[in-house]
Amino acid sequence: MSNPAKSTTPVPDEFQPRIVAFLCKWCSSAGSDLAGVSRLQYSSSAVPIQVMCSGSVSPLYILSAFKKGADGVLVSGCHPGDCHYMKGNFFARRRLYLVQKLLGFIGVEKDRFRMSWVSAAEGVKFAHIVDDFARDIKALGPQQRLKAKS
Amino acid sequence: MVKIEELQAYAAELLEKGQVKGVLGYRRGTAGPWVEPCTVTAAADTASLTWDPTCVNNLALYLVKDKKAQAASKTPDKRPLAIVAKGCDSRAVAVLLQENYFKRDEVVVIGVSCEGSGVVDKRKLSEKLKGKTPARIEFAGDDGFKVAVGKSETMIPAAEILADRCLECRAPSPTVSDKLFGEVVQERSYAAPFAAAQAAEAASEEERWAQWQHHFDRCLRCFACRSVCPMCYCPECVVDSTTIVITPQTTAEDKANRIRWCERSATPADSAVYHLTRAMHLAGRCVDCGECERVCPVNIPLRLLNTKLEKEAFEMFEYQAGQDAGQASLMSSFRDEDPNGFIR
Repeated sequence: MSNPAKSTTPVPDEFQPRIVAFLCKWCSSAGSDLAGVSRLQYSSSAVPIQVMCSGSVSPLYILSAFKKGADGVLVSGCHPGDCHYMKGNFFARRRLYLVQKLLGFIGVEKDRFRMSWVSAAEGVKFAHIVDDFARDIKALGPQQRLKAKS
Repeated sequence: MVKIEELQAYAAELLEKGQVKGVLGYRRGTAGPWVEPCTVTAAADTASLTWDPTCVNNLALYLVKDKKAQAASKTPDKRPLAIVAKGCDSRAVAVLLQENYFKRDEVVVIGVSCEGSGVVDKRKLSEKLKGKTPARIEFAGDDGFKVAVGKSETMIPAAEILADRCLECRAPSPTVSDKLFGEVVQERSYAAPFAAAQAAEAASEEERWAQWQHHFDRCLRCFACRSVCPMCYCPECVVDSTTIVITPQTTAEDKANRIRWCERSATPADSAVYHLTRAMHLAGRCVDCGECERVCPVNIPLRLLNTKLEKEAFEMFEYQAGQDAGQASLMSSFRDEDPNGFIR
């Protein structure tokens, strides 16, 4: 008999969302590091991908992640005005606003794609964002619409 | 009314003086009433130029093709090319100028105003005539179009056979032109701008997805939409995974691991990536000429994707593609008051 209190393996049938998180190197990546070194407990469902700037996130990255089976995509960058490259996040904001509208227009659930501003000092905020996102996606279930059928 | 004789005379004058190497225009084709695009290079041939409601093609595409041909040629002809441009075509020229694809002095725009009307949608007309082939279609003022079938002539109200994009057109007169034929008419009494996109938005998420899933499933990936688009001028398209340079040193692993954003096979997921990527790449550049939708062999309403983004650009960023060749492009500009509420 296994002791359920000691078991660390998740219940096999439970849906674990897979979130692809594009984090900007200068703020959000550092923010996620801070969440880690602060030993915050938060959802382990986000796979971080470090990018140089949120402005460098092409719509193709997002579509490709969905195609390869991501349940959610998070793009996180510096707060407006804090961009290491002065205006990268402003471009990202405009472009990803359109991506979000387009995904919604064809009928992809709007909670699948999220954007956030997380600074290097906001480890707690990052943990909250990932937790909220994972919770919302759990409610939606696996992403089937844009996923390639293999 | 556009006086076609004046247009022909102007084209002949340009060619006689050697100011242009050719005139891109429309001439009577062999497919019933439908005109075909042509390049007139001799003044004597300008009499074949025509203008009627079947001039559906966006000729700006051929400016792009000429530019590519000249760039590849050893003896490029540097003289400008003249183009007969409707409202939408001239917007395409304006966007190409904005993007510095060519310079203003490399093109002579012969603007023709649709005069509050527009061009005919082939599918709608065919449905209206129950499959009969018309012999001739003419503008007939506000009443609609005069359609000759056999020996009889019927009047068809414009709203019934006008192409979707013409119903919603916001600028039926050329924005860029060296000489304008026809009167500038801004008032229109057809559908409101973005009416089709708004109607599509009104459906529920499930319904919208059902629709688009159906469309992506049918896509053959023939790339007709990309080939006909004057804005899709990239020498290499990001969705083509075949453009990897293969040298003797290229290993099998390199070939296998080449970047493939979008597989060649026409699966629904890959077609979705293709169409959404194309829509994003045309955001703020699409001039709503409706060519992609017209050429689609399986009738995917591609215009909807583009007009949706056009609508967002217009409502949130007050941006209209092709209105001004000097404006900063949609994606290379931003404002402090851009929407921020959707970001956590």
